[in-house]
Amino acid sequence: MDQGLIAIAAAIAVFTGAGAGIGIGIGTSKAVEAVSRQPEASSKILMVTILGLALAEATAIYGLVIAFLLYGKLL
Amino acid sequence: MDTSKLLENLKSNQYNINLGGLEITISDSIVVMWMIMIVIIALAYVLTRNLKPIPEGKQIAAEYIVETINSFFKQTIGHHWKPFAPYLGTILIFLVFANTVSLFNIIPSGELLYSLTHFEIFKHFHFHVSPPTKDINITAALAVMSIFLVIGSGIIIKGPIAFLKSFFEPLWIMLPFKILDYFSRPLSLCMRLFGNVFAAYVLMELIYMIFPLIIPAIFSIYFDLFDGGLQAFIFVFLTSIYISETVE
Repeated sequence: MDQGLIAIAAAIAVFTGAGAGIGIGIGTSKAVEAVSRQPEASSKILMVTILGLALAEATAIYGLVIAFLLYGKLL
Repeated sequence: MDTSKLLENLKSNQYNINLGGLEITISDSIVVMWMIMIVIIALAYVLTRNLKPIPEGKQIAAEYIVETINSFFKQTIGHHWKPFAPYLGTILIFLVFANTVSLFNIIPSGELLYSLTHFEIFKHFHFHVSPPTKDINITAALAVMSIFLVIGSGIIIKGPIAFLKSFFEPLWIMLPFKILDYFSRPLSLCMRLFGNVFAAYVLMELIYMIFPLIIPAIFSIYFDLFDGGLQAFIFVFLTSIYISETVE
């Protein structure tokens, strides 16, 4: 019983990936719009986009790490 | 398909070495790091041997790498870039090699070697060339080094008093958040690198288990080359952003 609950908890923790996916999608679409509007600023936009995506991705990574921590309890 | 084989692959070997009464445990990731160090040191030696004022051949490649790294940090850190470029460039080159090293996993498994040669040593030999950054200890060490660099650069370039003053900068009420920043930044740097590389490694292992031939090569381009290179770049990029925030 406990084992099953821990496994479900780990699966729920990985759901943080959904939010990160939405955030990265919105960020990238805005970056594409910005580049198409001002192609000469593309190198600066690339830097800002990568920074934003890395920070948006962090939540998914935290969820993954929590899932690993929970998975470690199963063994 | 069973998960026990995957867990077997994820387990890291531990070698105990006795150095005059001092017990040292060396894991697989340390051994892979030594291999990467040998490759990088050899490359650095070969590329920088007998440099000439007018570059030719391999010297052009070496100058191109150094110029690219320098101009990148000039862009992100600002005009205090000079003392940081060698360290951050070293970390960048190391991480690029470390994250993509699983492309060179050419050592066959222990059972295969044992069935071919019947040497007893190979029977319990499980060594995979897996990225050392999938070990959380190594990414934690790199993140702690980065945050010490950030704090040190603030103290040395701005001066200790101005650095302490920056904790109260817009309003004194920001103090707890500014202190918390110095704990959450290394944590997120460490977890980002570890999580990405480890997740990519687990996914690649699963793909190898399902399709052993050809198809892993396509996924490997994304998971090993693109993701590994991108994460190495992001680690160094975020460190330089933190430095420029502290120094300016």
